[in-house]
Amino acid sequence: MQEVKKYSEEELIYLLKKKDQSAFSYLYDNYAAALFGVIFKMLEIRELAEDVLQEAFVKIWNNFSNYDDAKGRLFTWMVNITRNLTIDIIRSKSFKKQSKIQNSENAVNNIADFSNTSASFDALGIRKQLSLLREDQKQIIELAYFGGFTQDEISKNLNIPLGTVKTRMRTAIIELRKVLKN
Amino acid sequence: MNIEEIISSGLLELYAIGMTSPGETVLVENALKDHPEVRQELKKIEMSLESFARVNSMEPSPSVKDKILAQVSKAEKIDVTGIIGGNSRPAPQPAEKNLYRIPSYFKYAAAASLILLIGSLVLNYSYYNKYQQANEQLQAAQNKIDQNQQANLAMKNELNVMSDKNAMPIVLNGTPQAPDALAKIYWMKNTGEVYVDPTHLPAAPEGKQYQLWAIIDGKPVDGGMITTKNGIYHIQKMKSFGHADAFAITLEKAGGNPTPQGEMFVMAKI
Repeated sequence: MQEVKKYSEEELIYLLKKKDQSAFSYLYDNYAAALFGVIFKMLEIRELAEDVLQEAFVKIWNNFSNYDDAKGRLFTWMVNITRNLTIDIIRSKSFKKQSKIQNSENAVNNIADFSNTSASFDALGIRKQLSLLREDQKQIIELAYFGGFTQDEISKNLNIPLGTVKTRMRTAIIELRKVLKN
Repeated sequence: MNIEEIISSGLLELYAIGMTSPGETVLVENALKDHPEVRQELKKIEMSLESFARVNSMEPSPSVKDKILAQVSKAEKIDVTGIIGGNSRPAPQPAEKNLYRIPSYFKYAAAASLILLIGSLVLNYSYYNKYQQANEQLQAAQNKIDQNQQANLAMKNELNVMSDKNAMPIVLNGTPQAPDALAKIYWMKNTGEVYVDPTHLPAAPEGKQYQLWAIIDGKPVDGGMITTKNGIYHIQKMKSFGHADAFAITLEKAGGNPTPQGEMFVMAKI
């Protein structure tokens, strides 16, 4: 990857609010692969996933004035836009949620299938750390992150009470943070 | 809910992953506004999830970036004209489930509508022209019918005059000055009405008009002017006479004379 310029997140946000196209190009270079990974995991059809990625970035550009950094990080905002677009696609194409749950049970195990191109990012290390997560913890994060399921849907699909979804999610993410710190 | 409760409830995790209900989202966002500790905690959660997502990174085809940049620079031009302001759209909030979106087929639909509109305008123009032409033709046809009806009426009147059982036809022969001239008079014996058919008189020159005279007791009495319409002469009603010795037609100045001054063209003795 060619590193022309580096922006801090604050600079990037400032420039994107001013509709700076080179900042947008930088945004794409830094986040497209991560967002595309999310879309692909949800759809599993490369061409369709690329269409959604395109739609997502155009939407990010058009709606950037609505991004409020007091409400969360840039990546969180972008991944939410992307995920919601993908969910729309899944619903419109009447994707079977049930099959997605089954697929996502193996999702973490399939991580090795996905190439990572960001040299500065220690994917291999993190992968190792993720393998320390308990299976049910991985699963609940995967379901939410890559499945686009609501609390209610996860509760029904995993057959656990609604309150447990919240606490299990919290425990899973605390665990995630712990393994990533190592 | 105090800060510790919010942090320990799992709400921040759900918020970061985009799974909070609208009510929970408001709760979290208010806490973020007021408490730096909550912001700090959320940031850590977000960063761990970001790492989680990056592990699953996947490189899209290089053409995708080109397409996006092309679309964005096009959208910029539209933005400048203020047709679609990014600011005017409803704000998508980070944790909202259903983001407002303009479908990608929108621009195709817009283009299609525009084409339809243009097509419709062309058709409108063409149909309007055709309508006008048809209207003009109709008007012309109606005028012709009116003319024909008038002509028919005139002819019917003429026929009535000629076929009237009381009508006495009198032929006025050309004088030696105008041997080819001829006129006819239909004199109604019951009413004294006089009709003249001047069809065979030569065309009256500019500024001149034929005048009918009845000769009564050796003196000419004005019988009326013979009007000509576009050079076409019809049977027309003149002044009535109960008694006359002869009838004559002379060419006088337009409007006539109290006594005959001009050349006599035809005459008949009764």
